[in-house]
Amino acid sequence: MDKEALVLTLRLATVTTLVLMLLALPLAGWLALGRSRLRYVIEALVALPIVLPPTVLGFYLLVGLGPLTAIGRAIVRLLGHPLAFTFSGLVVGSFLYSLPFAVQPVVAGLRSIDPRYLEAAQTLGASPSRVFRAIALPLAKSSILAAAVLTFMHTVGEFGVVLMLGGGIPGRTQTLSIALFDQVQNFDYAAANRTALWLLLASTVALLFVYGRSLFRRNRDA
Amino acid sequence: MKQLAFIAFILAAFCASSSTAKAQAKPAPKPKTELHVASAADMQPVFEVLAPYFERKTGIHLVINYGASSILSEQMISGAPADIFFSADYVFAERVVSGGMADSTDAIPYAKGTLVLWTRKDSRFNPLHLEALERKDLKSVSIANPDHAPYGRAAVSALQKMKFYENVAPHFVQGESVAQAAQFAQTGNAELALISETIATSPKFKNSGSFVLFPTYVYPEIRQCAVILRSSPQRDNAHKLLNYILSDEVQGHLASLGLRPIK
Repeated sequence: MDKEALVLTLRLATVTTLVLMLLALPLAGWLALGRSRLRYVIEALVALPIVLPPTVLGFYLLVGLGPLTAIGRAIVRLLGHPLAFTFSGLVVGSFLYSLPFAVQPVVAGLRSIDPRYLEAAQTLGASPSRVFRAIALPLAKSSILAAAVLTFMHTVGEFGVVLMLGGGIPGRTQTLSIALFDQVQNFDYAAANRTALWLLLASTVALLFVYGRSLFRRNRDA
Repeated sequence: MKQLAFIAFILAAFCASSSTAKAQAKPAPKPKTELHVASAADMQPVFEVLAPYFERKTGIHLVINYGASSILSEQMISGAPADIFFSADYVFAERVVSGGMADSTDAIPYAKGTLVLWTRKDSRFNPLHLEALERKDLKSVSIANPDHAPYGRAAVSALQKMKFYENVAPHFVQGESVAQAAQFAQTGNAELALISETIATSPKFKNSGSFVLFPTYVYPEIRQCAVILRSSPQRDNAHKLLNYILSDEVQGHLASLGLRPIK
């Protein structure tokens, strides 16, 4: 059960991170470099999952997108099953839950780029999308990497949404954090210890990577 | 400046909503004593009916925390501050006794539970029949986690005894408690649910769905037991509650609440 949960958790985190980064890069670019007034609204919406309890997300996904609403029925027609209790449902939940962790570091990275680089490229005739791809993204590389690592680990650490939406199916929706919860409830502290240690180690390594990288880079630059 | 105006607007909205809430709230006299109850999730509809009667009779207000019996027993053993624990079976109540936390030498049975199959009114399984569990086109059947919740364990053994298990098991979705299993089906996310009769007969579930009973011989008796915590500062009041539940008055009404009397 442990191994199944581990594989599932890694799969969920990988898929979520890939999908999220695909959306986060253009979105962060628009937020950091765009001129639209709408940016503040979108930026606030993106930050919502940080302050909202995961149970709010879980509730909306389960009931709001459940088969009792029109949107939910459309989903059932489209997928053949409701979002709840499926891997794709967990991906949707994780996508929303980890959205700010993918977008915010990239926005911060892009905003810290010296605007003169971007202006120079523009003056030399590069299109905005080319400026973004050829100049901005490479300069924000380390922020993008940090965003990906944080998104991945934040998804690994997800609990509330999965608890409400998952239905605890081994191999399909029972992630490590849920397995740990079940082991504690079963008084199986030995197994819980192993699971908790896994999560602790993985998170520590990931954070060391994120913070260590920036430290080494600073040393190298100095 | 704009930001200030925005913050002022939010604050004003908050004040307005809280003042209307205050105006609506009745100036209720504060009850004298509060008894902290940890109760199995299947008892929620039961206490919703009984708690007001008990409070009127004794002046004791019940503060109830619902959950899966295993989760609650774990909390009791770890020293959670409850006065009395209503389990949905004997095992988890007994665990608290053997943990040396009870004021009795044994768990005290207070009711017998019944397992039912529930589905929504608009489901394709109506008119509902236990044979629905034989169908090959099942999609999702919710049960309570069999490790945590007595009704989940009863569900698994009933399905095994009736030879439905092989057919149903691939479609299991598990709730942490019988209440979550029921909620999965009530929100339409799961098609069928194996839950307690207490929940199935509660007004919300009665209005939105229908249920059929499992024959009692296909699962081990769900003997719901209670334990009064030795550490409780109000053991007298806890005994009052337990005696109330065990009184002929309440035991005679249990059938209408989805339980069977213990005597």
